[in-house]
Amino acid sequence: MANVLVTHADLPLGRRIVKVLWHDPEVERVVALGEGPVPRAFGTYRIGAAPRLVYERVDLARQRAVADFFKSKRLRSLEVDSIVHVPRHGAAPEGPPVVAKVPTRTAEARLVLHHAIEARGVRNLVALSSAFVYKLAPGNANHLTERSELDLDPEVAAEIRAWIDCDMLFQAQVSGRTDAASRRLRVVLLRLPTVVASGGYVYWNPALAGAAGPRVRPAGFDPLCPVIADKDVARAVCAALRARSSGVFNVAGRELLPLSMLGRWTGRPCVPVPGPLLRAAAAGAARLGRETLSSAIHGPHLRYGMSLDTSRAARELGFEPRYRIGVTRAGDGAMRLEAVAV
Amino acid sequence: MSADERPRDGVEEPGGAPAARPLLGSDPFAEAGGPDPLDAWLDALDQLAARGRTTAAEAAEASLPRRENRTAAAPEPAPRLAEVELSPELRRLSRLVGEEPARRLSALLGRLEGYDRFGLSRPAVQQAFPLFYALYRLYFRVRSSGHEHIPADGPALLVANHGGLLPFDGAMAVLDVLLHTDPPRLPRAIVDRWAGSLPFVNVFFARVGQVVGTHENLARLLADGESVLVFPEGVEGIRKPITQRYRLQRFHVGFVEHALRARAPIVPMAIVGSDDQAPVLFDLKPIARLLGLPTVPITPTFPWFGPLGLLPYPVRYRIVYGEPIRFHERFAVRAAEDPAVVRALAGQVRRAVQGLIDKSR
Repeated sequence: MANVLVTHADLPLGRRIVKVLWHDPEVERVVALGEGPVPRAFGTYRIGAAPRLVYERVDLARQRAVADFFKSKRLRSLEVDSIVHVPRHGAAPEGPPVVAKVPTRTAEARLVLHHAIEARGVRNLVALSSAFVYKLAPGNANHLTERSELDLDPEVAAEIRAWIDCDMLFQAQVSGRTDAASRRLRVVLLRLPTVVASGGYVYWNPALAGAAGPRVRPAGFDPLCPVIADKDVARAVCAALRARSSGVFNVAGRELLPLSMLGRWTGRPCVPVPGPLLRAAAAGAARLGRETLSSAIHGPHLRYGMSLDTSRAARELGFEPRYRIGVTRAGDGAMRLEAVAV
Repeated sequence: MSADERPRDGVEEPGGAPAARPLLGSDPFAEAGGPDPLDAWLDALDQLAARGRTTAAEAAEASLPRRENRTAAAPEPAPRLAEVELSPELRRLSRLVGEEPARRLSALLGRLEGYDRFGLSRPAVQQAFPLFYALYRLYFRVRSSGHEHIPADGPALLVANHGGLLPFDGAMAVLDVLLHTDPPRLPRAIVDRWAGSLPFVNVFFARVGQVVGTHENLARLLADGESVLVFPEGVEGIRKPITQRYRLQRFHVGFVEHALRARAPIVPMAIVGSDDQAPVLFDLKPIARLLGLPTVPITPTFPWFGPLGLLPYPVRYRIVYGEPIRFHERFAVRAAEDPAVVRALAGQVRRAVQGLIDKSR
């Protein structure tokens, strides 16, 4: 890997990945794609006559914009050989809420995959997926390997269905490579649990998506959620870029936290509400087109816990989590979940 | 640009040593340095506890990730009783339950940290212990024998009869093993899948170490070197009518496969008393099917006294452990793939448990 393109680099996890890649001595240049203006955090990385970080504004949901970018002379001159696809995810708690555009996530994944196959120079594609794609059986002890069944229930929440659609798009490429163009592309799919970042930020969990504030969960259930620090996600991406072959990998940190605790320490306290009431509210929200709200208040992920088998990532990617996640008093005096290097 | 010219933002360089580690509570992108973050973090926790600004439960939560997640590797052996020191909290508990049970609890708690992958949590075990110990000593007045047959370490399957509608037999068996092994072992009881979908019950079971009965879970527990308590009769055991009391029902045989694969001994157990705690006169199976419940029993007290009618009578429990059956010494792992062998071996275990019950009554 020499020149790496990162999608949604203006979102929190994208920013983190860009920064870690920028520090990677094997990476010549990082091409960051984002919808918004250049993140302020990139300021120090873009100084000098030939900065190693290039930022481009592209709306990944628009087919024309993406096609124009991938076929542009500008991209050819950047000689991108690896792509890291970071799906759209939530905003920072203090910032304006970015409502996840559920169908957009699938469209973006399809476009990125298509252009990665088409682009001659691209050899690696690392895509981030979610561990919430797995089917969860009743109980708190669903130990999930990469071979565990996906939740193909037709009644699965739309938010999770979008994750599953994206996952299957990439997985088809991992397992069923047929034509010559796609055979040259190495695809690594990383399935992430709830991502926790310093400052009490939390991503990837449908129950805690979006801005800080109270949430609801079915009374009498408190599922165990595996968590991973954002910095470990970035490290996993670096490891995946060095992978020798295509594959699907679960990556997770060492800790498992109950949803109530996770919500409480990230500014999203989960209020227990009777299950039947939530079911009715979710059905109403889905009927009104509020799919994100519907999946945030109803679904197996709010009742049944999971743990991820990460042995394959350890064995084949050499990835071991380096950050522990725990509660501490932050600089502003508030108690929060923080990621700490151990 | 050379590495020296690169801005320091607290992220490490993947190929080398951390460039600058973030101070806790600081902006993760800000320049950082100074003391080791883990020390700072632990100091912050200590200060937090000292200030008394959180409840005991919060302090327990805060102390969660100090050590390696126990299930990331094989569990650490618990210290022997003589080596255990009591914390002030457990010293107070020892006045209530006695010195030795408190020491046992302390030895067990010393092994637990955070939540394991099945949901077992240290605060929940600590809080549940006094209640169940009172039930053990005062309500069910448990007597037990044959503890020398329980393996001191390594994977083991404890196979027992099941009865009494509510699984107090499981709770008493778990406590009995905890109270009679040195170092103390907490057997992980396998519960019916249905329990995993019950509000409140599923959380309580998980936090005190019970595990929903799936093949994956059983295999993983044995691979972790845990002792596992199974009731191969399943729901049939708890809903059997009074006329069938202490007669074992049909055994599920999966536990034998796992014992063979994990090379684990099987310890047959008889629990006498459980079938008398809530004698089932009739089981209204059609109504149970309609409601999606495993059983709708009619007992002398249920449904006449409402949910209170399900509470067990204060019967005396007697728990007897039989000699371990070591199938793995006679059969290869591949025997687990042969249904006829597995059924025959399960039949042997069933006869052993029935024999213990008959002797103990």
